[in-house]
Amino acid sequence: MERDVFERRLATLVVLAAVMFVVLVIRLWQVQVVQGDYYLKLSEENRLRVTTVLAPRGALLDRHGRTLVANRPAFTVALLPLELRHPRAEAQVVGKLIGMDPAEILSRLAAGRDRPFEPVRLRRDVPKEIVAAIEEGQLDLPGVLVEVEPVRQYVYRTLGAQVFGYVGEINEDELKRLRAAGYEPGDLIGKEGVEETYDAYIRGRNGQIQAEVDAQGRMVRTLGTVPAVPGNEVVLGLDLAMQQVAEEGLGDRPGVVIAMDPRDGTILAMVSHPAFDPNVFSGGIKAGVWNGLIKDPARPLLDRAIQGAYPPGSVFKVVTASAAVQMGLVKADTGFYSPGYYNLGGWTFHEWKALGHVNFIDAIAQSCDACFYDLSRRAGPNAVAKFARTYGLGERTGVDLPNEGDGVVPDPAWKKRVWKQDWYGGDTLNMGIGQGYVLTTPLQIARMMAAVANGGTLVTPHVVTEIRTLDGRVVARIAPPPGGHIQVTPQTLDVVRTGLAAVVSRGTGTALQMPGFTAAGKTGTAEASHGKPYAWFAAYAPVDAPKLVVVAMVENAGFGAENALPVVKQVFQAWLAEQNGAVPAKPAAAAPPQTQTAGPRPAAAPAPASAPSGGSPSAPAPKPAQIPAAGPEPAVLPGPRETSGQ
Amino acid sequence: MSIGLDRRVVRNLDPYLLASTLLLCLFGLVMVYSTTRYGLHPLVFVRSQMLHFVVGAVIAGAILAVDYRSFASGARMLYIANVILLAAVLVAGRSSLGAQRWIPLGPLGQFQPSEFAKLAIVITLARHLTDRPGPYTSVRDLLPFLAHISIPMILIFRQPDLGTALVYGAIFAGMLYAGGARRRDLALLGLAGAAVTPLLWHILKAYQRRRLLSFLDPSLDPLGSGYGIIQSKIAVGSGMLWGKGLFAGTQNVLQFVPEHHTDFIFSVVGEELGFVGCVVLLALFYLWLVRGVRAATVARDRFGALVAVGIVSMVAFHVFVNVGMTVGIMPITGIPLPFISYGGSALMTMVWAAALLLNVGMRRQKILF
Repeated sequence: MERDVFERRLATLVVLAAVMFVVLVIRLWQVQVVQGDYYLKLSEENRLRVTTVLAPRGALLDRHGRTLVANRPAFTVALLPLELRHPRAEAQVVGKLIGMDPAEILSRLAAGRDRPFEPVRLRRDVPKEIVAAIEEGQLDLPGVLVEVEPVRQYVYRTLGAQVFGYVGEINEDELKRLRAAGYEPGDLIGKEGVEETYDAYIRGRNGQIQAEVDAQGRMVRTLGTVPAVPGNEVVLGLDLAMQQVAEEGLGDRPGVVIAMDPRDGTILAMVSHPAFDPNVFSGGIKAGVWNGLIKDPARPLLDRAIQGAYPPGSVFKVVTASAAVQMGLVKADTGFYSPGYYNLGGWTFHEWKALGHVNFIDAIAQSCDACFYDLSRRAGPNAVAKFARTYGLGERTGVDLPNEGDGVVPDPAWKKRVWKQDWYGGDTLNMGIGQGYVLTTPLQIARMMAAVANGGTLVTPHVVTEIRTLDGRVVARIAPPPGGHIQVTPQTLDVVRTGLAAVVSRGTGTALQMPGFTAAGKTGTAEASHGKPYAWFAAYAPVDAPKLVVVAMVENAGFGAENALPVVKQVFQAWLAEQNGAVPAKPAAAAPPQTQTAGPRPAAAPAPASAPSGGSPSAPAPKPAQIPAAGPEPAVLPGPRETSGQ
Repeated sequence: MSIGLDRRVVRNLDPYLLASTLLLCLFGLVMVYSTTRYGLHPLVFVRSQMLHFVVGAVIAGAILAVDYRSFASGARMLYIANVILLAAVLVAGRSSLGAQRWIPLGPLGQFQPSEFAKLAIVITLARHLTDRPGPYTSVRDLLPFLAHISIPMILIFRQPDLGTALVYGAIFAGMLYAGGARRRDLALLGLAGAAVTPLLWHILKAYQRRRLLSFLDPSLDPLGSGYGIIQSKIAVGSGMLWGKGLFAGTQNVLQFVPEHHTDFIFSVVGEELGFVGCVVLLALFYLWLVRGVRAATVARDRFGALVAVGIVSMVAFHVFVNVGMTVGIMPITGIPLPFISYGGSALMTMVWAAALLLNVGMRRQKILF
C-alpha cells in the first residue's frame, strides 16, 4: 500500500474525529448554555423524585373462591432522607410518636443512603391517632411522610396460620439470595407457608412515580408513572368450612388435623395448633411480640403438620401388616392368640388388652400389639424399615410448603450410625407398633393412608391448586406429579384395606360410623416421653372409592379412639354436608373479625373507623367473599393523599 | 530488536502526548474524588484509582523500555491468552448489574479482562494486518480479519457487554480502513453487520433492549434507563457556562445521576466545571488523539502505524459514545470515559495504550512501508 494513501486515510480519520468533537461541543453548548437555565432550575428549585408504589399482594382464596388472605389500606410512616434537616432530632420526635427506637431509625436511614430520594419506611399500619399527630406537627417535621399502603390481612386470624405464613420486610440473607430476581431493600416478602413458597407469584411488581417536587418536597407535577402490577391470586385446595371445623374440633389442644384428597394430594384442611395470628407481622412486628412468639414453649410458629416429628403408634401397623402379608408370614385368616403380653428374652411387652383368639383382620381391627410384636420380630427390622420407606415415611412428601421435616425410619445401621449402639430385639418390637425410634410427620401419615386408599400411588401433597391473575386468567395450575408407587402387591394391599375397614366396622374405630357412610381407618395411641400419649386417628372414605383422607393427632391427649377420632369424624361430617350441597361456611364463625380495622394492635382497632362507613362491613355477618381484596374504604382514610410529600 | 533506551530514542518521546496523558489522568483523579468523596470513607475510591495509576505507570515504563516490535512477535500467544481470559469471565466471572465482567483476584480485588482485551485486540490485529499486507481487492480478503475479531467480540457480547463489543467494531473499522481496505468492502461489512442486528436483538438481555429503546425515545421509560439520561442531562445542563464549581455539584451528591463515578462521570464534569470545563477536557482528548495519529504517521513500520491507529480509534470511539451518552445523543451502552472514569482495569489499559503510542512514536527512524 502506498505511503501517501495511508497518510490520506489518516487525515480522513483525523477529520472524522474532529467532526465528532464538534458535534459534542455543539450539543454541550445547546444543553449547557442554551438550555442551561432550564436545567439549572430543574436541578435546584425542582427536583425529580422517584418513589416506589407498593404492589398489593395477591389474595389467597379457598377452593370455592372465598377470601382467606387479602389486603387492607393502612398508614405507613416513612422518612425522606433528602428532606430531613436534622435527622437526629427528627428521629427522636418520630421515634417517640410511633414507638420506635431512634437509634434504629438512624440505622435504617443509613442503610438507605444510596437512594436518598426513596422513602425509608419506618412503620406500617400506624394507628390513626398517631397519623393525626404527625399531620398536625408536619411543619416541624419536614421529610416525614405518611402514605397509604396495602397491608396484609389474614381474614380469619389464626385460621390456617402456618399454611399461609406471614409477610415481613426482606432481610439481608434473603436480599443477597433474591436480588437477581428483582427484590430490593425494604420490599415485603412472604415468610413461611404459601406466602413464602409462592412469593414470586403473589408479590406483583412495584410501580414507580417520577415526580417533580419543589424545595419543600411538595409534588409539583408527575412526570411519569409506572403503575404497580398487583400480585396474582392464589387458589388453595383448602375448604374454608372444613378448615373451620377442623380448627374448632382440635380446639385449644396442641395437635394437627389434615384432610387430603387421596387421588391427587390436594389438601382440603390443614391445622396445626397452637397457632399464631399472622396479622401481627403485617405492620412490622414489634420486637417484644416476636420474642414472645419464638420463645413460647408451645411453639406456635411450628407447623406441626409438616415439621413435627411424632411416633405414629399403631397407625404404623399399616406398614408392619404390609410387610408381614407380602413376606408370606400371615394371611387374612391366620389365627393369633393374645394373652395380653408378649415375652422376648426375659422381657415382657405389655398389651393394651387381652384379646384371646383372633384372626389377622381382627388383630388389625382390635390393634393387637402382641400379634404385631410377633410379626415384626419375624419380619425383622430391615424389612419393616423397607416397607416404611416404600410408604414414603422417613422422607419429605414434597409438599409445597417450606421447611418440611423428614421424620425417622430406624434400622440397625441407622442406630449404629446415630446412637452408636447395637439394635436389640426390643427395638424391633417397638418399631412394629410405631414406637421407639420411629418418627413421622402427620402429613407423611396422611400420604401413607392415601397410598393405601388409592391403590398404591404416593401422591405429592399440595395446598395450592391454581394461580391466576386478578382478571381470572390462569397463570399456573399446581398439580405435582406423584412421588412414586409403593412396592406392595395389590393382594397385600387388599388384606390391609380389609383390616382397616374392620377397624371402623367392628374394631377400635367404630365411633366413626355414620349412616350411609363407609370408612376405613386406624387408631393410634403413641406413648410420649412425658405426659399422656399422642392420640392418632387416620382414616379414608368411602371404602370403595376413597375421596378423602383425614388424619388427626392430638398431643398428650390419651387414646386415639377417644381424642383424635371425634375430630376426624367432624371433618368427615363437614365434608359430607358439603357433598350434599349444604351451605358452605357456618355464618357465625365465618364473620370476619372487624374487617377493615382488624389490626394486630388493640389500640389500633377503634370502632369509629368502620362504624360510620355505612353499609359495608360493619353490617352483621357478611359473607367472607365480600372482603375486598384491596378495597380501600374512603371513610377510613382521612385526607386525599396517596404518595405525597409534605 | 533493541531493549533499553538509548538517548536518541528518548529524545523522540512526544512531550505533547506525554503531557496530555498525565493531565487526563490527573483530571480523572480529581473527578473521581469529587464524585466519591462523601460518606464515611471519602478517600477509598480515589486511593484505589491512584494505586492503579501508579502500578499502571510502572508497567507503562516497562512497555516504553521494550521495542514495540517485540509485541508483534508475541501476538499469537497474546491472542490465545486473551480468548482464554474472556472465556474464563463467562465461567468464573462475578456479575454486576446483570452482566458478568469481572474475575475475582482474591486480595488484589478483581479485574475486568474485557478492558485489557481491547489493547490485546489492537496488537494482534495489527500483527495480522502486517502478515497479510494486502492489497485487499475484495470483501473475501477481509474475512480472515473478521474472523480474528469475531471470537473475542462474541465472547464479550455474551457477558453481555454491548458497549465493549461495539468498541471492537470501531477498532476493526479504523484499523482496516487505515490498513488499506477498500471503502466499499468496509461499507459492505457494515451493512452485513446492520443486517444481523435484528438477530442480535434476541441475544440481548431485556435491560439492554430497554436501554436501546429508551435511547430512541426516552419518554418511553422515564423511570428506568430513561431516568439516567434525563438526570444526566439535568446535571450537565445545570452546569451552564462556568459550572457550579469543583466539588459544588448537587445532583452528584444527591446521587440523582446513576453510575456517576464510572460511566456517567462526564455529567459531573459538566455540572461542576460547566461548558468551559467540558471543552477543556475535550480539547485535551483531541490533542491526545491528534498526537496519536502523528505517531501513526511517523511510525517506522506497518505494525507500529496500525497499532497507533487502533488505539486512536478505540479512544475516539470511547470519548464520543461516552460523552454523547451523558448529553443524550448516544445510547447508554456502559463504556467508560478513558482516563477519567473510576475503574482500575480501564485506567491501566488506557495508560498502557498511551505508552504504546509513545513507544511507536519514539522508535520512528526509517519508514519502511
